[in-house]
Amino acid sequence: MASFKKVIKFLSSMQFAVFLLVLLAAACCAGSFITQGQTFEWYAQMYSERTAGLILALQLDDAFHSWWFILISAFLCLNLFFCNVVRLPSLIERTKKESDPEQVIKGPHTCEARVKDADAVFRRMHMPEPKTVTADGKTVRVSKKNTIGIWGAWVTHVGVLLLIAGFSLGQMLKQEYTVYGVPGQIKPVADTGYFVEIDDFRTLRNEDGSLNQYVTDITVRNMSTSADSTGVKASVTVNGPASVYGWRYYQNSTGWAADITIQKNGEPLQEEVLCAGESLRVADLPDLVIILNAVYPDLVYSGQGMPTTASDELNHPGYLYSVYYRNEILGMNVLDGEEPLTIDDYTVTFHDPQSYTLIQVKKDSFAWLAFAGAVITMLGLLLSFYLQPSAVWAVEDGEESTMFGYSRKGGIIFREAFEQAAKAAETGE
Amino acid sequence: MLQMERILFTIVLVSYFLTMVLYFAFVTMKNDKLYKAAEIVQLAGLVLHTCTIIARGIGAGRLPLTNQYEFASAFSWGLNLVSLLFIYRFKFPVLGAFASPVTFLIIGYAAMQSKEVHELMPALKSYWLGFHVSSAIISYGAFGVSFVLSIIFLMRDQIKSRGFLDEHIPSREKLDLISYRSVALGLLFLTITIISGAIWADRAWGSYWSWDPKETWSLITWIIYAVYLHLRIRKGWDGRAAAIFAVVGFICVIFTYIGVNTFLPGMHSYA
Repeated sequence: MASFKKVIKFLSSMQFAVFLLVLLAAACCAGSFITQGQTFEWYAQMYSERTAGLILALQLDDAFHSWWFILISAFLCLNLFFCNVVRLPSLIERTKKESDPEQVIKGPHTCEARVKDADAVFRRMHMPEPKTVTADGKTVRVSKKNTIGIWGAWVTHVGVLLLIAGFSLGQMLKQEYTVYGVPGQIKPVADTGYFVEIDDFRTLRNEDGSLNQYVTDITVRNMSTSADSTGVKASVTVNGPASVYGWRYYQNSTGWAADITIQKNGEPLQEEVLCAGESLRVADLPDLVIILNAVYPDLVYSGQGMPTTASDELNHPGYLYSVYYRNEILGMNVLDGEEPLTIDDYTVTFHDPQSYTLIQVKKDSFAWLAFAGAVITMLGLLLSFYLQPSAVWAVEDGEESTMFGYSRKGGIIFREAFEQAAKAAETGE
Repeated sequence: MLQMERILFTIVLVSYFLTMVLYFAFVTMKNDKLYKAAEIVQLAGLVLHTCTIIARGIGAGRLPLTNQYEFASAFSWGLNLVSLLFIYRFKFPVLGAFASPVTFLIIGYAAMQSKEVHELMPALKSYWLGFHVSSAIISYGAFGVSFVLSIIFLMRDQIKSRGFLDEHIPSREKLDLISYRSVALGLLFLTITIISGAIWADRAWGSYWSWDPKETWSLITWIIYAVYLHLRIRKGWDGRAAAIFAVVGFICVIFTYIGVNTFLPGMHSYA
């Protein structure tokens, strides 16, 4: 039992909190300085093979999801939890004590003065209307404010705890998918049963040609229920996500796509839309795969002969493709405009380049918890910083009163304010 | 309007320099009249700076808080505002002598940035921009003041007793309390900055927290000041450790603002 108490005492201690916070800051530093999510080869080229091995062994390549980062966060949660549990009884006791005027005057004081006009001191200290009590046969007028401020740190801890819990649960359980395509296409949202029909995609520009906004009009259909025949229409923009059926749709990105036409011996065989990066298996020869690697709306060649685009305008389209047969690369090259590509009996052409839209579809059922935690943290900080508890009381003694003041956090600033108020009350300034 | 903004900015730059010179003269020549003059120039600089930012906003047709120049200008405005408030509130004119060089350095950094006006990219077109960046300005300004106060706190023991500075600089206990007040203001507004940024990020990028370097360094700054608050109330500590953390905290603020943009590009690369 004694050792259990020792463990709880340690887990709830401020020293442990400071140690964990410093450790967390150091971990965040490491995570921000070391580029995240790269391969061994990448780190070896950046640093050295030895360092690369160390980075991967210590999971510094994914620092914010590493076991040690989760462990630090978990200990911080334990610290916050036990700190609040341990402090709760004394806080309740203190609140009761500081709410009771008779208890307040029995407590400590940090300043004292003899004054004739006690009311003036109460006024100058911006204290609320004092209550009258009797102690040791003397009349005592007590004024106190911001007793609730005692709870500031406790509430802040609750907020941070909820914030970490909401964020962690969200990271573990959120569902996130992407849907991309060009207007007219209908795409499934993974295996959720929802389908997104891309009705329109527009790139709005300012007068000077700079980018203004991306707008995608969508219709979301729930195919898991036959009742939903019409679906729900929504418009998605950057900074303007749409909420449909409890899922959020975000305008995430855009890129280029093009139509691909395949003919066999001069007869039409296949026609599809391919987004850059997508591949297509030839219908009657599935081992033959054509990949559209990139679309250049305004094709030019760099000094080293590499294809690139001179602008985002569709002045001179070009297509970088690669062809695979049974996973072996047959070739990779650039097609200039509608220049055909011939592979035995097949003729492939790319044409009608257009922008595709990429929509992120997300459901995070715990975001509200993180948000509530953030708001509670704010509230706790406000209580801590701006509602500092203080009490002023006057013991009446004939024509004069002895005044006392107490503020645990106010320190010298409270004492100076008290002394100035007492002095001003005496001089009538 | 942008032409007027440039002229006003130059006047503000000169007024901040003059403020710094007058405060130095006040401390070195030990003349209270110079402090009054410094305070008037500082206040005039703040008013003109406000006009400069408004002129920039009208000229650009948007909130002028989106690039390095605009933020640096607003940062120095925030630092000037908070330091002036603390000088008045705590009757502490020597604070101006320490804060005005920092303000001048930051506006000097702004002067070196490109002043061109560009259209905002779609991600920046949000009403959250105002909340997020303006709270960051107040927060950074308050942390700047706490940095200066902590430097004064750490130097306090070296000051000759009964001298001019000894009479004009509060006791260590009071310095610690004033520093605490400025950290409290800064931390509160930093929390607003982080929360509003998270809500905005969720709308713009589809994720309220992505461990982007700017986000991560804001969190590091928040943690450093949280450590400061814990060290301050720890029994037996004389305030030096807390003051050192307040200095480290401001170094983190500067790194979050300039260092992250320079060395750790991420989604906030435009800021």
